[in-house]
Amino acid sequence: MMPHTSIICFLASYLVAFALELTRFRTTSRWGRLLSLGFAGAGLLAQTWYLLNRGHEASLPPLLASTHDWMLVVAWLVMLVYLVMAVLNSRLNLGVFVYPLVLALIAVAYKLDQAPNTELYAAQARRNWGLLHASLLVFGVVAAAAGCVSALMYLLQHRRLKTSHAERQGLQMPSLPRLASVNRWAFLLSFLLLTLGYASGLLLTFSAPSAGSTVELSEPIVILSGLVWLVLAGALGWLLVQRGPAGRQVAWLTIVGLGGLLMAIFGLQLATGHLHRGGRTATQVQAQPRGHETGPVTEVGR
Amino acid sequence: MNLQVVYCSHRASGLALRERLAFSKTQIPEAYAALKRAFPRAECVLLSTCNRVEVYTAQEDTAHVPGHQDLARFFSEFHQVPVHEFFDDLLERSGPDVVRHLFQVAASLDSMVLGEPQIVAQVKEAYTLAQQNSASGPLTNALFQRALGVAKRVRTETALAEGRVSIASVAVGDFGRRIFDRFDDKTVLIIGAGEMAVEAVRYLQAEGARQIWVCNRTFDRALALAQEWGGQVRPFERLDEWLAQADVIVSTTGAEPCLVPRDRFRLARQKGAYKPVFVLDLGVPRDFDPAIRDLDDNVFLYCIDDLQVICEQNRRARQREVDRALGIIDQEVDRLMGELHHQATGPIIRRLREQWRQVVDQETRRLFQRLPHLEKDRADIERSIEQMVNKLLHPPLEALRDEAREGTPHGLLDAMRRLFRLSD
Repeated sequence: MMPHTSIICFLASYLVAFALELTRFRTTSRWGRLLSLGFAGAGLLAQTWYLLNRGHEASLPPLLASTHDWMLVVAWLVMLVYLVMAVLNSRLNLGVFVYPLVLALIAVAYKLDQAPNTELYAAQARRNWGLLHASLLVFGVVAAAAGCVSALMYLLQHRRLKTSHAERQGLQMPSLPRLASVNRWAFLLSFLLLTLGYASGLLLTFSAPSAGSTVELSEPIVILSGLVWLVLAGALGWLLVQRGPAGRQVAWLTIVGLGGLLMAIFGLQLATGHLHRGGRTATQVQAQPRGHETGPVTEVGR
Repeated sequence: MNLQVVYCSHRASGLALRERLAFSKTQIPEAYAALKRAFPRAECVLLSTCNRVEVYTAQEDTAHVPGHQDLARFFSEFHQVPVHEFFDDLLERSGPDVVRHLFQVAASLDSMVLGEPQIVAQVKEAYTLAQQNSASGPLTNALFQRALGVAKRVRTETALAEGRVSIASVAVGDFGRRIFDRFDDKTVLIIGAGEMAVEAVRYLQAEGARQIWVCNRTFDRALALAQEWGGQVRPFERLDEWLAQADVIVSTTGAEPCLVPRDRFRLARQKGAYKPVFVLDLGVPRDFDPAIRDLDDNVFLYCIDDLQVICEQNRRARQREVDRALGIIDQEVDRLMGELHHQATGPIIRRLREQWRQVVDQETRRLFQRLPHLEKDRADIERSIEQMVNKLLHPPLEALRDEAREGTPHGLLDAMRRLFRLSD
């Protein structure tokens, strides 16, 4: 049996790492930075162990195990990308931007439904498509997060350059062209992955048998993400026809568009407790009025 | 052990004198040959930069150690400069002060611009040349290797080297490099011919800027500057065209009235497709209307006042780091001096231990020959004897180590040689 870790374990590690990153504004200390990376690495390991345990218990990959796990996979990926970049470039302080995002993701995940989606992915074929759908969305969300971070950095850097302020100690950021490039690519990649994720989700819904189908097109997450997708498609179209450099506009578009999408997804999850209704607990189904049951009920609750 | 440095630097002597006493790269081998002839027992390292000329000497023994006057004579004979013209400007340090001085030099605490990064490379080059000319030895090797380590430590553990302190370096380093990713594909337009423009061009060229246009009311002056910088002249009458095409604009005319008012630049921007432009207005009074800054998102305008504020902030920040850097240097000086003094005691301690080891071996062999029944307890007996020897040796060796912390304990070393009849 695999030993357990708790969510508090890696949350605490990341909090300490974040606090150490903030000290870079006051002092340049190699040991402080190494300690921060150490805590972040330890947190990532603990989180990996946690996700593997959860997947093992649910007999599902972490991406499908539950909404809670899906959210933690997003946080895990963001943390992994951050760690790699922090090791490759010691002067870049991405931590001040990434840690709040990761901590917010973990905090949201903590509040979410932890019931496994065993019913939702009972059939192997459905599981494979489900994995594709969840993976595309996860990577799309990570790309969106990268886009938002680079957009925020762009706006801060642009403002500093416009107002002739010196670079702040501990907050050295890349050049505007580089940030704009990362921003643009993250936006495009995110849009592409989210589109494919959305499309695979629709395919999954249409291909499921009507009896026992636990995802409906009328679900709030489906409608909301569809609307946001339309807005993003419009924004992308505008970008493509734009002539001349539009760094600041792209940055604002990213923050409003992709940031709005992230807030919508997470906000909805917080409000309802899960992504798809199929993952409901027994308690939640029993609380529903008679005649509205939609398929088998899972016995495992939170 | 004898350590000494004789030097002149920007703090105490003028540029003219330093230029006369400096050693060019081609003169270095000849200088080392002259030093070796004059001081065959001494290790030497020559450090010659635009701001200092220094000769470090080191010797294990105290016989024929080069003094202040000897080195002054060396300078005089090599450069054919009468001693009296520079003797008063030639400073000297000895002992631990040599170590402290070198560490401060390498850490750029003694530089004209506090925290400037070039000095480390200059110290490293000087040391390398000394090695190549077989002029350095164990003492100077230890000294210079540690100096380079100390410089690195000061750089990483303090903010002494953080922040730029010259107008042009702040402009290009803090701003230019964040507005553009690269400069090799950018067009730089220089308007006017001020001194600050020269420095700005130097930094821009260091960043890779290749296309330099020079624009001046006086064509001949523009041509001379263009040739000096490897650039091209542009007629002043078509300035609006160049303003539209340039990515970087450096202006130093200080003309009155303002050379480029807002409307003029706005019209130029319309032709330039609103690409990002980095404008460095170094003129006094300003050449560019400050309102230009707000024309659009891609105009980045900096004047001297903006840059001087940052230079001053950085200078103050560096100054605050001086105490921390001096603390690190004090630690390292004590550490190196302790190690050097300890090295001097090493041979004596080794000989003493060898001598006692020989006596122990002889006597234990005799004991076990006379009393063979003790063979079964040989290990215990030898261990006890070893412990006895260590306890007896502990007080004199401890005293030697304690003395070594304050300096080479010549007196104690001589006493131990005589007391224990230790031969060299």
